[in-house]
Amino acid sequence: MRLPAAVNSLLLRSSGVLIFLILWETAPRLAWVDPYFVPPLSIVVREIWLLLETGDLSRHLLVSSWRAVTGLSLALVVALPLGIILGRWLTGLASALEPLLRLLSQINPFAMLPLFLLFFGIGETAKVAVVTWVTLWPILFYTIIATRTVDPLQIKSAAALGVSRSEMLCKVILPAAVPTIFIGIRIGASLTFFILIAAEMLGAGSGLGWLVHNSAMNYLIPRIYAGATFIVLLGFLLNRLLLYIEASLSIWQGSQSGSPVAGQSRASSWRPDRGSAVAGTAILVLVLILGALEVRRLNQEALAGASSSSSHAKHFGTPADSSDGGL
Amino acid sequence: MAGVVDVPQQIQTDAKIVVKAITSVFHLKKTRTEPAREFIALKEINLEVKKGEFLVLVGPSGCGKSTLLDILTGLAQPTSGAVYIDGNKVTGPALDRGIVLQGYALFPWRTVRQNVEFGLEIKKVPKRERRAISDNFIHLVGLDGFADRFPHELSGGMKQRVAIARALAYDPEVLLMDEPFAAVDAQTRESLQDELLRIWEATGKTILFVTHSIEEAVFLGDRVAVLTPNPGTLREIVKIDLPRPRHNSDTRSSAEFGWIRRKIWELLQNAPHESRHHLNAVPVAEAISPTASL
Ligand SMILES: Nc1ncnc2c1ncn2[C@@H]1O[C@H](COP(=O)(O)OP(=O)(O)OP(=O)(O)O)[C@@H](O)[C@H]1O
Ligand SMILES: [Mg+2]
Repeated sequence: MRLPAAVNSLLLRSSGVLIFLILWETAPRLAWVDPYFVPPLSIVVREIWLLLETGDLSRHLLVSSWRAVTGLSLALVVALPLGIILGRWLTGLASALEPLLRLLSQINPFAMLPLFLLFFGIGETAKVAVVTWVTLWPILFYTIIATRTVDPLQIKSAAALGVSRSEMLCKVILPAAVPTIFIGIRIGASLTFFILIAAEMLGAGSGLGWLVHNSAMNYLIPRIYAGATFIVLLGFLLNRLLLYIEASLSIWQGSQSGSPVAGQSRASSWRPDRGSAVAGTAILVLVLILGALEVRRLNQEALAGASSSSSHAKHFGTPADSSDGGL
Repeated sequence: MAGVVDVPQQIQTDAKIVVKAITSVFHLKKTRTEPAREFIALKEINLEVKKGEFLVLVGPSGCGKSTLLDILTGLAQPTSGAVYIDGNKVTGPALDRGIVLQGYALFPWRTVRQNVEFGLEIKKVPKRERRAISDNFIHLVGLDGFADRFPHELSGGMKQRVAIARALAYDPEVLLMDEPFAAVDAQTRESLQDELLRIWEATGKTILFVTHSIEEAVFLGDRVAVLTPNPGTLREIVKIDLPRPRHNSDTRSSAEFGWIRRKIWELLQNAPHESRHHLNAVPVAEAISPTASL
């Protein structure tokens, strides 16, 4: 009884995507658009398959994810404690610093990109630093707001028991602040992808952004689409993963408060628990570890390639890559 | 400041709680319309509560009931005077006093059970014992079967029960309750009152209960302390000699109940007029006759 309804709603919700996919296939085939610039879906899928087969795609995917997650984690490590201190204890300093922080956060990150490349070179540091920079601000702001606006009654009922400072932090302030902090994290995560892809296009030897850029330089049009599809997919997955962790950390909110996106659609059918929060976090940690290994391997390969004749670069045919290397 | 210095750290007393010459002054900051000034929220409050007694504080809004409770909790310092529990001066919050605040103040991220166990966690009670204790108190307030619900899934009356269970669970000897039943409907309120009396009789706690409702005060209390505002002063303590147990319908309809109610009502009615009259004529410090704080 429940299955048909579920299938129905799934069909309904995905009908837009389905129509889009069908158009993608038919429009180039019927020559409504130039199939050279817009290759039909089946060609792109075949290209994806080829890339998957050689392992190239998963390698670039892993590298991009690693950069995104590392940058995000670094931003968390900096912004969370800072936000808590500014929001809870140094409230005077927080309001004094606010104009400066706003100014910094409003600098267009794309304008900062060349600066980051200048300071950190085209190595991993630049990419991770760029991601950290853009995600830092929303996380910082939302952490300050979240910790500042904890219900004073809740603080009071804990204080009446004579709790210690750390107990107040861990048992009251943080749990109360988590939903709001997560809004900042998700805003940061959505920015991550724009900036990371741009950074990889400007100066990198790997990653999905590089893959697309490199394909464009070499007129490998289906490969551009294959890479772009994966970029969309990766952004979608990261957002989903964060929603998943968020929902499992804030089941207590019900559907009336907090983030409506996360709450409403989920509350009815699926109740995540702490286990799924652990699972979600485990996936992120896995990306961190595997990505780090892959990045190290790639960098060593690049070094080896640079010292001998650049066989690696030739394999991909990358004039753009070697010119960027001169930065 | 001067008052704090000459207050002894310990006193000889049989009373569970001694409130000694408490005065609380708020320093109001300058606003656009008014200059900075001092506001006397409580003036020379003296009060003794016996062990196991149920004392109710009534008074109009703004007469300093919550302020007095904050001082008893140890969350606020009086400007002068002191509070003693078992003869020892209160210097800060501690687990010998449980509080139920105005508004439920539950932790929404914790289930009913986790809320009830909060104080036990602070007290470092091992997990298994915690569970037995919380089971007991969840049962005591009639919430069996709701242990794993979150606060947003409960009605107002149920939340209030959780708040009471949370305050009782870590076994404080004194329970301080600030208008705990103000936000529920009349029916629920009466059943919560019945339950509170039952719990009080079962546990023998000393309870200090704040309310706006004269009826509630008379129904619950051994004695009712009547506070009057501007500044908050203790006007009179009325002894309630109604027989116990009171949790049956006869109590509220008895003639004596009506008579005591009337008396407290009059105490509350007359007081503000008098003091307002004085306030207009003479400076604040002289407006309070020394007898008013009896
Ligand atoms: N932090 C504060 N700063 C300045 N004035 C305060 C402060 N807290 C309370 N007051 C004042 O002290 C007086 C007593 O406040 P309190 O909250 O104790 O009243 P109450 O008797 O509990 O009232 P209610 O029945 O409405 O809860 C009020 O006039 C209030 O404006
Ligand atoms: Mg009050």
